[in-house]
Amino acid sequence: MNKGKIVSIHSFRGGTGKSNTTANLAAQVALAGKRVGVVDTDIQSPGIHVLFGLDERKMGKTMNDFLHDKATIREIGLPIHENVGGAVGLSKLKDTHIWLFPSSISGRDISQILKEGVDFNKLNVGLQTTISEFDLDYLFIDTHPGLNEETLLSIATSDVLIIILRPDNQDLQGTSVTVDIARSLDVPNLFLMINKALPKYDPVQLKKEIELQFNAPVAGVLPLSFDMADNASSDLFSLRYPDHEWSKGLRGVAEAILALDNK
Amino acid sequence: MPGVFDRLNKEIQDKQQEGGITPLDLVGLPPALRKIMRVMLRELQAGYPRLCEIIDGMSEADRLSREDLQSALASLTEQYWLIRIGEGEKAIYKVNLRRREGSKLVAGIWSALDLKLKDKPKDE
Repeated sequence: MNKGKIVSIHSFRGGTGKSNTTANLAAQVALAGKRVGVVDTDIQSPGIHVLFGLDERKMGKTMNDFLHDKATIREIGLPIHENVGGAVGLSKLKDTHIWLFPSSISGRDISQILKEGVDFNKLNVGLQTTISEFDLDYLFIDTHPGLNEETLLSIATSDVLIIILRPDNQDLQGTSVTVDIARSLDVPNLFLMINKALPKYDPVQLKKEIELQFNAPVAGVLPLSFDMADNASSDLFSLRYPDHEWSKGLRGVAEAILALDNK
Repeated sequence: MPGVFDRLNKEIQDKQQEGGITPLDLVGLPPALRKIMRVMLRELQAGYPRLCEIIDGMSEADRLSREDLQSALASLTEQYWLIRIGEGEKAIYKVNLRRREGSKLVAGIWSALDLKLKDKPKDE
């Protein structure tokens, strides 16, 4: 079996900060000296490339090209550490090993996927091949919110699943469904991460209540942050503002992932 | 003239068209079958000795007996959720996921969208 671990980041609803969390976690794990890949399987509404300073012109080959036999995984992997650009946070990755496997943001490519469907054999081969071709220690998968088939496949093949939720009743109900599904799929390591927690909540108490409700560990409680919103996905927040409370919480989640190596 | 590789590839493709498991089906599988499918999703393809090696490396609680492993493999191949190429100890198993069908939206919507996007340069 591939030695690299697959870490899927999921949320039942949109707007939880999933792509920001995925990109920042991947960056923190890369800074810890690991070889890291980030795959965007949110084929219908890709976005994580923005956090790594990419737009359509800089993107090159994408997962869509791989799914349509127009590119190999080797051709898609974009070495972020060699393309850090001028952003303060992103530039800290220049001595790491981190690759992005983006999905296309071309309207034509998204329309083609929606029209023709997805070859899941091919998608799964792609996910596993990123690990072997790039000798990855960790592959982070940014998924589409909610439970669709791409998401279920990424959960089924994961070693670690991180479910992000906000302290919101809709999120709580949706997370309950996702946790049940993850358990049905025998995911070995399941963590919850609370994001956008209002200052009125005591993080310790919130963590305790959520852990009790879902019988699963909460790896971090990250605050609702105007600074984060102001960053507007223009840089990797936890690298740019390492002393911010959001960044500290995020690093706690990265540490929980890395600690599994010693399990 | 087609070689052995071409013939095997065609055999796999023919069998893949006969069915396949959806990611949703994985959720409802009995534990032993799900365990094998999870292993196969990561391995992509594996022979029986390799599967035995992986199962033997699992914790005692997760381990399957040889009888249970063979029974699970038989059940999964019968439903074309795994494709078996070859026979006996030399058989290779390969996971077979069912393709997700495209959107059922009336074709006219996609033609209209294609037409709209066609005027846009590819690298814009």
